[in-house]
Amino acid sequence: MPDQHHQVSGISRRTLCAGAAGVAAMLGLGCLKFVPESSLLRPPGGQDEDRLLSACIRCEKCYTICPNDVIRPAHVEDGLIGMRTPQLVFPTSGAGDVENIKYCDFCTQANNGVPLCVQACPTKALSLPADATAETYVIGIAKITQEECLAYRLKGCHFCYDACPYEAIEMDDDGMPHVIEDKCTGCGACEAACVSLQDASIASGATRRAIYVDPTVTSATNPASNQ
Amino acid sequence: MNIQKLRALIPVLVIVVIAVGFGLNSGVGTLSAVGWGDISLLCPLGALSTMLASKMLVPRALVSLVLAIIAILILGRAFCAWICPVPFVGNLRDAFTPKSKRTDAAGTSKAAASSAKPSIVEANDAAADSSVTATVATTAVTTSAARDASAAITLSAEELASLKSCSGGCSSCSSKRETIDTRHFVLGGALLSAAIFGFPVFCLICPIGLTFATVLLVMLLFGGGDVTWSVVLVPLLLLAEVVFFRKWCSKICPLSAFMSLVAKGNKTFKPTVDPSKCLESTKGVSCGKCSQVCHVGINPRHPDLGAAASECSKCRACVDNCPGHAISMPFLPKKQAPQAQFNQVIQLNAKPVTDVAAAEAAADVAACEAAQETK
Repeated sequence: MPDQHHQVSGISRRTLCAGAAGVAAMLGLGCLKFVPESSLLRPPGGQDEDRLLSACIRCEKCYTICPNDVIRPAHVEDGLIGMRTPQLVFPTSGAGDVENIKYCDFCTQANNGVPLCVQACPTKALSLPADATAETYVIGIAKITQEECLAYRLKGCHFCYDACPYEAIEMDDDGMPHVIEDKCTGCGACEAACVSLQDASIASGATRRAIYVDPTVTSATNPASNQ
Repeated sequence: MNIQKLRALIPVLVIVVIAVGFGLNSGVGTLSAVGWGDISLLCPLGALSTMLASKMLVPRALVSLVLAIIAILILGRAFCAWICPVPFVGNLRDAFTPKSKRTDAAGTSKAAASSAKPSIVEANDAAADSSVTATVATTAVTTSAARDASAAITLSAEELASLKSCSGGCSSCSSKRETIDTRHFVLGGALLSAAIFGFPVFCLICPIGLTFATVLLVMLLFGGGDVTWSVVLVPLLLLAEVVFFRKWCSKICPLSAFMSLVAKGNKTFKPTVDPSKCLESTKGVSCGKCSQVCHVGINPRHPDLGAAASECSKCRACVDNCPGHAISMPFLPKKQAPQAQFNQVIQLNAKPVTDVAAAEAAADVAACEAAQETK
């Protein structure tokens, strides 16, 4: 049989070549790791970015279970490797309506303060220290962009102040809001309540609200996740 | 309900249930981690890659892996034929291909199978008719025919010898069956890449994940106003994989590779041919219908030809298409009882052996040659 010359222990040369191409493709795909991605605001327990990326299998469990609908798949615009990993997105629908904002309340109402996403994550990509609570665990820190803030434009807006569940925003004597970083957990209530994007005169060209949760400040804030 | 219709319906139902579950925030998850609330059964490949990539032992991943292996040991690759949405998505490729050139994910020509169907049935009918008349003619002289039988069989010894050498493990046929194919390389590459680069690499492009991602991204686009290029890119990637790589399931899918490896230990629900009903042994016709309809290229009648039994996706196509209703999928393999073999011999002998045995032998030789040619 002429074919037998091409066989190495039961594998034809053709299979070997195609297989090598498959392995190369998988390794090439792995190199996507080196494509830069923008930092994203992750759900509770996902603040260790390396850990999240290494364990997340994009099963979509967390954003199908979130009772507040604030976990969304990351966009391809945020980075190829991070596409479809979970990020926190606070809907603008609650802007100006402090009673109905959607933010991460650590599932205080839905699950007695244990985030369902962390509880349900099957690969421990989201995983909290044992003593983490809504008040102590920091997802991010709220930041105010003064040029876009209605209060700083003397419009007397204080939705973020009203929305904050942890009294982490104080209004100074001139009626300008300030974030008290030690108290802020990055829950997103202020961002969800902020109306700056709805106000066209302010928001021309702005892509995010005047108060937003910045994810980049948390690496040193939280103790390392257990397990 | 027709089993094949049910089989086609289940993946659609799975997609619908998961979409509804997503709408209701029920935490059903997707097939990557299906379950209810905290309970999830992880995709075995996902479980392996996440543990390799994160260098952590994750209890739920381990348990899922063990459960998946048990399920595969019992059900073989049934996931591929009954639940996986990829063949359903792959049917979209029919929109891009002229009818005559359509193939399924395993690479079998649909047109060939369907066009072959009527002619084979006719041939079988004709064969059945002739052999029925032949048996009627011979039953009157059963005893004498039976006495002649041994002599008659020796007449076709040459054919029988060639037949035996073929169906009993023809060396040239069986050596061509590869124990490892490209899927296994992709599986190895995916796990290696996950370990090196530290993230579950294949999950990025897994067509099962992309199918549900498409559903959910579209729901988010219309339900949540979540505008992103992902909603274009994800379905495009999915289509590129499943529609343009026609043989995704049989040549690339590492999940299929994983299941075929584990399924080597699968002993249950194997398609079993009852020789006392199979047209090849009872009527001496070259049927081969079971191997033609098999999506993964198994030859249930001659297991040494065609793909390995571990590839079986339990789709029951052979069971449903067998003109003699000779194929079943028993939970446990029936040992070929001595009584059954004895009956078979009796039947062989009771037939007009001179014609039938020779025809049978010739047919089997022809089938073997045909199988060799197609290789």
